[in-house]
Amino acid sequence: MTDFVLRLLRLDRRVIFLLIAVATLLPLLYPVSLPIRVSPEVQRVYDYMEKLPAGSLMLLSMDFEPGGKPELYPMAVALLRHAFQKNIKVLGMTLWPAGAGIAEIAFTEVAREKGKEKGVDYVFLGYAPGDASAVISMGQDFHAAFPADYYGTKTADIPLLQKVRSLRDMQYVMSLSVGFPGIDTWYVYGKEKYGFELGGGCTAVSAPRFYPLLDTGQINGLLGGLRGAAEYEVLLGVKGKAMAGMAAQSATHFVIIFLIIVCNALYFLTGQARGRQR
Amino acid sequence: MLFWKRTFPLLLTLLLGITFTAQYYVPHPASESLLTEVSVWGQIISGFAILLGVGSLIRSHYVKIKRREAGWGYSGVMFLSMLIMLGAGFWSGGKTEGTSFGWLYSYVFVALQGTMFSLLAFFVASAAYRAFRARTPEATVLLVAAILVMWGRVPLGEHLISGIGSVTEWIMNVPNTAAQRGILIGVSLGGIATSIKIIFGIERSYLGKD
Repeated sequence: MTDFVLRLLRLDRRVIFLLIAVATLLPLLYPVSLPIRVSPEVQRVYDYMEKLPAGSLMLLSMDFEPGGKPELYPMAVALLRHAFQKNIKVLGMTLWPAGAGIAEIAFTEVAREKGKEKGVDYVFLGYAPGDASAVISMGQDFHAAFPADYYGTKTADIPLLQKVRSLRDMQYVMSLSVGFPGIDTWYVYGKEKYGFELGGGCTAVSAPRFYPLLDTGQINGLLGGLRGAAEYEVLLGVKGKAMAGMAAQSATHFVIIFLIIVCNALYFLTGQARGRQR
Repeated sequence: MLFWKRTFPLLLTLLLGITFTAQYYVPHPASESLLTEVSVWGQIISGFAILLGVGSLIRSHYVKIKRREAGWGYSGVMFLSMLIMLGAGFWSGGKTEGTSFGWLYSYVFVALQGTMFSLLAFFVASAAYRAFRARTPEATVLLVAAILVMWGRVPLGEHLISGIGSVTEWIMNVPNTAAQRGILIGVSLGGIATSIKIIFGIERSYLGKD
């Protein structure tokens, strides 16, 4: 009996990998819809966006690379849909060099879906090098930080940017971040000095880190992981990729919980056996 | 020679460190225009840092191939991939929509990076099975909190036990926030102390070994 339990405790990790693969794949192949409760931190981002009058300026900084796409891209799409529905003007950018491609796809696709015009309803500025320096530079002189947009058009010639001088002109800044540079950079070097309202979105693993900033109001809301994106989709009344992924995430979480419970039960069984042997 | 390698960088760090610490508290137009100028310098220097990174990557993989170190074939794949991406990028003028560069970016680069990141789920599950054990009271508290958060953060969990979402929220908002705040304060104080040491030349490791 003890040998069997010990063998189970040393279970081949490929069995665990297989369990996770099945738990992820099955709900994606056979979707199950479950009600999603909206958390206060996501509700606050939505409410703030709702209150912004048409024509307000929002900066969406997609501070992630393709690794963060499964969690953060659905957030970007949901936020862009909301902004365009409300006729909020959106400036897009990224502080991550390999993130410009995904960010551009998000802007182009949602703008096409909502019938928005480049340069008038939105501008995609692309990658800004320099992390903190980029944020400070945008706060000091927006056009010096971005002399041209992603497509090479001079920012001085873009109608939407005619009145933009600094980050102080933004009514809302959202950073969707997978690490550093990201939300911290925008808060420490941007919000603190240039006084705009800041919201955040991040991967599920990094979400706990931002709760102190939420508590003090340093960020006004937080979309944490795929769940955060799914909650935003619920508020928008749109069934997007995040909601579709929630069943797979549910199943994966439960497999991990099951594995933790099993390994602890086995651990105690072997502990008792060891006690009896002594 | 020592002056240019040691003394000059130390003096420059001292001067700029004090100037820009003071600049934060001086909203005079001259001070603001100095910050505007220097922030653009910062962006330009960061651009060159990318070149340095690429240079370092090429050098380390070149050495690996030259010495036929273990896994040198992967270094060859790295060079080949780099050349293909660079070629496609220049050919497409850096544009992604409807270009070969865009295709490679969306269907190779994005897919590969996504795969790397998603492997985390597999390793987390395996590590949780092997290491997440209630060996001590502290480990038990962590284990129970982890299970509650994992349970309450997914719709199925809330569907099975209504109200568990509020428990998860409490864990995130109270004990988690308290612990994270402690870490944040510690890291910030450490950052300030290190900055002061760098500005006043006590910490010199950034100058290198020579």
